[in-house]
Amino acid sequence: MSITNYLPENQSRQPRTGLVFRLSLLASAIIGITATTASAAPADQDFNAGFISFGDDIPEVLTTTRLRQPKTRVPGSTTVITGDMIRDLGIMNLYEVFRLVPGMVVNFVGSHQPVTTYHGTVHYEQRRMQVLVDGRTSHKATLSDMDWETMPVPLEMIERIEVARGPNSAAYGINAFLGTINIITRDPADTAGVETRVVSGSRGYLRTFGSVGDAGPDVDWRLTYEKRKFDGFDYQVDGGERFPFRNGHDINSFTYDSRLKFHDQVDLELRTGVVDGTKYNDKDKTAELNPFDDPDIDVRDYYLQSKLNVRTSDRHFFHVMASVENFNRRQPYTISFPDEAVTCLENGTPLFRRDSNRDFPCYPDDAPIAGFAEVDADSEDTRLEFELQDTLIINNDLKVASGAGFRKDTFRSETYFNGRGSNYQSRFFGNLEYTPLSWLTLNAGGNWERTSTTDNSYFSPRLAANFTFNNRHALRFVYSEAVRTPDGFEQNPDWGYTLRNVSPAIYSDLEGRRITTQEAYEVQGWLTLGRDLQEEHIISREISYFGQFPLEQGMLSIEVRGFNDELRDMISGVIQLKDWSVDNNVAIDQKGFEVEAMLEYPGTTLRASYGYLDQDTWYTGEPIFNDDGDVDTVKQQRTTDLLTRMSVRHSGSLAVIQDLPWGLKASSAFYWADEFGRSQFERFDARIAKRIYQSRYTAELAFTMQHYLNRDPELSSDNNIKDHNQFFVEAGVRF
Amino acid sequence: MTSSRPTESVQPHNLQALRSFTTALVCFLFWLWPSASIAQSHQTASPVIYIVGSGNDALDRHVTGLLADQLGDEATLMPIRDDQSMIGTDSPVVTIGPVAFSKIRQMNRDAPILALMVEKTFIQGYANRSPGQVSAIYYDVPLVRQALTGKAILPQSRQIALLASTESVEIYEDLIDQLSAYNLQARVFITDSDDQLIPTLVRALTYGDFVLAGSDDAIYNPRNIKHILLTAYRRNKIVIGPSQAYVKAGVLASSYAPFPVMAEMAGTYLQGYLAEGHFPEPDYPGEYRVEANKQVARSLNIPLPERDWIAEQVDELLQSGQGGAE
Repeated sequence: MSITNYLPENQSRQPRTGLVFRLSLLASAIIGITATTASAAPADQDFNAGFISFGDDIPEVLTTTRLRQPKTRVPGSTTVITGDMIRDLGIMNLYEVFRLVPGMVVNFVGSHQPVTTYHGTVHYEQRRMQVLVDGRTSHKATLSDMDWETMPVPLEMIERIEVARGPNSAAYGINAFLGTINIITRDPADTAGVETRVVSGSRGYLRTFGSVGDAGPDVDWRLTYEKRKFDGFDYQVDGGERFPFRNGHDINSFTYDSRLKFHDQVDLELRTGVVDGTKYNDKDKTAELNPFDDPDIDVRDYYLQSKLNVRTSDRHFFHVMASVENFNRRQPYTISFPDEAVTCLENGTPLFRRDSNRDFPCYPDDAPIAGFAEVDADSEDTRLEFELQDTLIINNDLKVASGAGFRKDTFRSETYFNGRGSNYQSRFFGNLEYTPLSWLTLNAGGNWERTSTTDNSYFSPRLAANFTFNNRHALRFVYSEAVRTPDGFEQNPDWGYTLRNVSPAIYSDLEGRRITTQEAYEVQGWLTLGRDLQEEHIISREISYFGQFPLEQGMLSIEVRGFNDELRDMISGVIQLKDWSVDNNVAIDQKGFEVEAMLEYPGTTLRASYGYLDQDTWYTGEPIFNDDGDVDTVKQQRTTDLLTRMSVRHSGSLAVIQDLPWGLKASSAFYWADEFGRSQFERFDARIAKRIYQSRYTAELAFTMQHYLNRDPELSSDNNIKDHNQFFVEAGVRF
Repeated sequence: MTSSRPTESVQPHNLQALRSFTTALVCFLFWLWPSASIAQSHQTASPVIYIVGSGNDALDRHVTGLLADQLGDEATLMPIRDDQSMIGTDSPVVTIGPVAFSKIRQMNRDAPILALMVEKTFIQGYANRSPGQVSAIYYDVPLVRQALTGKAILPQSRQIALLASTESVEIYEDLIDQLSAYNLQARVFITDSDDQLIPTLVRALTYGDFVLAGSDDAIYNPRNIKHILLTAYRRNKIVIGPSQAYVKAGVLASSYAPFPVMAEMAGTYLQGYLAEGHFPEPDYPGEYRVEANKQVARSLNIPLPERDWIAEQVDELLQSGQGGAE
């Protein structure tokens, strides 16, 4: 007999204290049935005593308002990755989860800066997917970037991740352009007790996690701590030689989640978190103006979130959410400069202008260092967000969700904005779900939003028809439109580095001088500074099928999505001090299909995902001129290429999770994505875990191996690892 | 004068003899009459079976009606009110619910009782102490049947999580031995206090493909069920059992014995008693149906088969598993 008992297994049976309860249960059953005498006629051969008798005592817990929408009725394709699957597959970092999502790819830019995207169209700044953690917008407020490595979301606390593929602005607003990532952490009620885990592995990977919490009648709470350390890539290459690559991180995060229960129908969620640590940056990869030392980033973020949930009836509920997030990044570093650079600044020659030989006269290759100065790329963003959402279930076939939201993004940065400023967004949204026939569900939704970044308002609609058969098969037709507005930095940059502590003294006249794009540009014809950017548009059409096939010993689930999208006025270009060339200048037509399948047998789970993407991209902006005044077709082509560097034609994953005897569980996964800029990504993971169930705790020991099949870096020639077999060991315990 | 004295003396003697004869006759007749009367009644009227209700008219009427239909003319069901004494009767008594059983048992420990709507754990001790005199039709559902109900709905399931207290863990002991015949395995997670419930449940959910809830009111009660169901639901795990009432609360499914089936079995037991003077051993009904929460299934993206199909599938699984292990 398998038993996790801290008392002897065959303890003698004690008098049942529950007898009184049981008798009272029947007594109440009797009372309950009295109330329904009329309906409970003796002649009724299917007299349903169980329902009636205990109904008064046992509350209906999973009411309509608490139930999630079934996939057959969802207006679009959604991938759900459960926390258990993430842990069973031995995934080491949050961003790697998205390799399991059809059509999504993950790679790295800069100093091991993870970027994940759906259908490409992104490189450095991941700005076309809405990312939410427990309903809280998580991308940085003004630079529209996702910093996956500093997100305060321990893998152990992930309940599930839902990725809505396709434009979702109708529900989530104007940044849900290509899709929405919704990370749902575990409810504090579900993590009562103590849990701790340590994972250590190749390339200096170390992750320690601990949580403590409790669930009570009035308050559920949880406190977590996580430390993440990683060395990143092993080396970079320059001129065929290998050099050390400083690109890791050392991040600590504390989170506190709680739920105050005022009443069975009213509760208040309170969440807060603090992130502190360092992101290591290599001076040859990151930062401007020829850094002399490594421009590491000191991270100090925090957030506060509250959400009031009110259920006024079994068919009506609403929530009011308020959150504030602060992203504080300090990036001080020292730059060096030759005499020639000082001369250029004195005579007004842009620092990165090339001469006729394509050399940099202000920074000659063999010029000795003449002076130093301290600069910084500090920034602090604060996002204030309110949301009210109301859901009314008129009947089982008619459901209305509506709400309003307001967001204020405040930015403070001498480097990027030369001061501070704010952007404002307000929106109203709604969705009607109507099932006129048992086999047809219609969804009509829209989002009206106004933003101060463009001083315009936009409406993003979505229409969907789901044809369902036997509640097991659904054929969906979805039409949606969405916009993405430029972020605060894209629209209103004032980028410059102020020189401080300039040395030696002969350069003291440079003290306090601010070096801006105008003093650093490479080609004047590329500059688009001061140009008003407009919103990007997407029109998306989707036909998808979701089906479940019960088997004698298992279950097969399949989802296939076909899409045809038109993306217009896409903002592309380079964001560098010497080259600011972003504009609404690219159009994309894309089509393809995606498959997600899962086969579950007793003790065995097989999962497969595949995405095929066919993109047609062309330049639609104003002509770009070179220094000679000719149209720079190379630059124009490069601008379109920038949006396709992470657009891969084929991508996918295969995974298997297998229970083994003696409490062992094995898993393996294969991930691939082809046609990155330089090469393709192919990795095989294998994990074996032993779970030990003891009286008051469950422990787990695991070993994971990652094998990189392709040994060439995919995006950058600097992203190299020495050993293509990476190993990790982990130990965890839950009380 | 002398001649009259014998006459006087005889008369009293004859009278005494007559009185003795008359007394003997009356005694004989008195002895004979009840026997004849009972014999006559056996030939002309059905035996009486007393029925003690739960106190709820609707439930009692329903059960009485079904039972009366089963017995037909073979016996007369006679309800007993609270103020009526049962002590002294040899007629069988049908009790509805544990309260009614306890009351009758306290009034007359020798009364033959057929208990309805009682759980095995409640009645088994009485039945063992008074075999043939106390019997029952179990109201709870055999755990292996509940386990196979979960298996029929989730054919890919293999591991079952069980929550129990140290006092109630015994109810799962037989089940765990039975499951291997169906390619299933289970593990009991012990929780003895409110503080331990959720941490233990979370650990149980990492083990089990679903949670099987037995009739254990220390764990599954109105106070706990909300936390259990919400936590399991958030983890996309289903709960099976222990009864129909919990299906309404949010449990995905539970098997249950229909009332007519229980009544039919009770009728058979009573007929057996009337014929042989003792009851068969307590047992579970032979037929079960399945109640399921379609809304929860849909929300969890679980394709729920028809309820009849599930019940049939469970029967087939039971038959395939070493001839049924109930």
